[in-house]
Amino acid sequence: MAETSFWTGSESYLCDRELAQAFHMARVLGMPLLIEGEPGTGKTELPLQYAKNKDLELHVYPVGSKSTVDQFVAKFDHVKYLRDSQIEVLNAQREEKGLGTKLSSGGRSTEVLDDYVLLGPAAKAYSSPNSVLLIDEIDKAPREFPNDLLYALSHRKFVMPESGKIISVSEEDMPAIVITSNREQELPTAFKGRCIYHYISFPGPEIMREIVAKHYNDVDDEIVGKAIEMFYQLRQLGLERSPSTRELLNWLKYLKTFAKEDTIKKIQELDGLGALVKTQDDVKRVKRNMDLPGGGFSESKRFYQ
Amino acid sequence: MFESFPEVCRSFGVPADVRSLLLLRKAMERDLIHTVGDIYSLMKGALVKDPTHIGPFTQAFYSYFVGVDVNPGERLSDAIERSQTFQDWLDDFIKVDEERVNMNMDELIERFLDEVHTTSYDIKRVLDGEDILENDNPDLKDRAGDGDDAANAERLLDRAADYRFVDLEELRRRMERVMEQQKGKHSGGSHWIGTGGVSPYGHGGAAMGGIRVGGSGGGKMARQVFDDPQYYPVDIDAHISDDNIDATLASLKGVLEETNEMLLDIPLTVKTGVKEGGLFLPIELEKTNDKLQVILLIDNGGYSMDYYIRPVQALFKKMKTRYAHDLETYYFHNTIYKYVYEDERRTRPIPIERVLSKDPNYRVFVIGDAAMAPYELHEGSVIAWGRFSEKFKKIAWLNPVSEKHWSITFTTTILKRIIPMYSMTPRGIEKAIQEMNKKKNAGG
Repeated sequence: MAETSFWTGSESYLCDRELAQAFHMARVLGMPLLIEGEPGTGKTELPLQYAKNKDLELHVYPVGSKSTVDQFVAKFDHVKYLRDSQIEVLNAQREEKGLGTKLSSGGRSTEVLDDYVLLGPAAKAYSSPNSVLLIDEIDKAPREFPNDLLYALSHRKFVMPESGKIISVSEEDMPAIVITSNREQELPTAFKGRCIYHYISFPGPEIMREIVAKHYNDVDDEIVGKAIEMFYQLRQLGLERSPSTRELLNWLKYLKTFAKEDTIKKIQELDGLGALVKTQDDVKRVKRNMDLPGGGFSESKRFYQ
Repeated sequence: MFESFPEVCRSFGVPADVRSLLLLRKAMERDLIHTVGDIYSLMKGALVKDPTHIGPFTQAFYSYFVGVDVNPGERLSDAIERSQTFQDWLDDFIKVDEERVNMNMDELIERFLDEVHTTSYDIKRVLDGEDILENDNPDLKDRAGDGDDAANAERLLDRAADYRFVDLEELRRRMERVMEQQKGKHSGGSHWIGTGGVSPYGHGGAAMGGIRVGGSGGGKMARQVFDDPQYYPVDIDAHISDDNIDATLASLKGVLEETNEMLLDIPLTVKTGVKEGGLFLPIELEKTNDKLQVILLIDNGGYSMDYYIRPVQALFKKMKTRYAHDLETYYFHNTIYKYVYEDERRTRPIPIERVLSKDPNYRVFVIGDAAMAPYELHEGSVIAWGRFSEKFKKIAWLNPVSEKHWSITFTTTILKRIIPMYSMTPRGIEKAIQEMNKKKNAGG
């Protein structure tokens, strides 16, 4: 029986209640959990932390633009297969000529097709009950990828290429599957229909404080408060790329190296802005809005004064 | 049970079907559902597949299960405050302790929501017969007893009986009955919270069934959803603007196409070669790629269009950056004669033949109000539009003017006959793309 206890996060990971509940339901129902949300809301962290906390086997498949179901499930190593079959021919020839030594095919036999099947993370997860499978950033995949997964998700089985071996898992032993997406591309409706869906909204200031505390407990409260305040102000500017949790944490990492009085001043002046804002246009925009030097507008204002 | 819930969801614009009920059933069998809040969480995970649906779903849920109907644009708190359900609850709530009159409305609503989401009375308590054990109220007996005295007696003997050990089918039957009753009261006008002095929301004020780990939550979240413009209300029937541009983008998803190209299939070539005894013949493989070809024809003449152009451009620009594909934009004034223009100020004319010589698989979106003086749309122009619709099978006219006014404008009715016209709303665009996708690719 798969691990289906209610999990609410660990010491180093704050799991939003709603998310915890969705995750719980997905596990109990044996369905994948599809998490969408802005970058930096901790989508990927959930399965990683869960596996770590519960000491479960973790399989990760980072999706890219060239991902195929082959890589995800299993593929047949044709090159090895070719090599081994050539070796067999060679060995036969050598034997004919009376040569005793044989070339090795590493214990594989061309008769056993399973020897040439390389298992991908999905096949591995399905063959080990009670594991965790993360499919990260599925929106990066080619359009057909999620559609190709449909069968596996609804029938809980994979057919191995060439060998035809079937890897299947019962509903009870279903691995906890978490799929994340940044919504760069819409996923097919049929695919979403087979998942429990959860949208992580960006955390509010109070929760952000808790998140920060989980990472840095040595930073002064006042500094964290001020930095968070500034962070949310920046997010409201409607930047091309709004800073996310990750950026805030990086910024704090930089800030905490200074003495307290300096730090407060540095926050006001947005020192280390580069950690928060990543594009030139955004930097200009921040400077203009926050009335900092270099923002163009305020400089010309000074000029006229 | 809850048979009509999917229908209610659909009426709020959230796609739902009977599969969601099957899932709910399964969840009950797996012991996931104990409170109304659990139903909320589960159905949300099962039905909401897009952040823009969270708002409408919450609305549907409150309307169906709690009897709170939210008017468009209204905050949940306000809707709750004027609902009969809340007033009934409040009466009972205050009756228990006079001091409570002094609580402020926000606190009261918070309390109400918490109780709605965490009270397991209606499901758990009824099911485990706790009511019958500890409550002599005849009304309750009526409701929960089902005349099934044997079962009750059994549980009387064993006070600690957990509902989990009761036969599942029976539980379900009971639940259905309870729910039916609630539904009836619902339509009867007095809603589902207790009548005849039986308040399911507990005399002590606390959630009666207690809060089960993992079985609660939702009330606060629901409220946040309503106060957050990110989720609610996104009006997919409104004209596209900065507010719903993401919803529009989502409706454009169908515009992507896949192309085929042939590649050498090395593994198969090797494999067959080996079988053929070393004779390697190339074997080709079809490879599919996403492809998107769009031509935009924008009417930027006349101030009536100014307001709409920017969002449209923003929309397609976003799409372009997201998918990085062919996008060509041309401008015209009111209608097309012999030229379209490359630039917004219409200084660089391009003969329409050049546009017409493009790949017929381009999708063409004409954006314009199609309204002009009748003499402007003379024969030459009608012929030009005709050539476009002849050449590009996937063509749609997106009109920012509200659909009900189309028939008033003479030129609109003419153009509509030449080129299929849709309103410039997320819904309209989605429809346009659906129609486009029905057309086969030329030569493919």
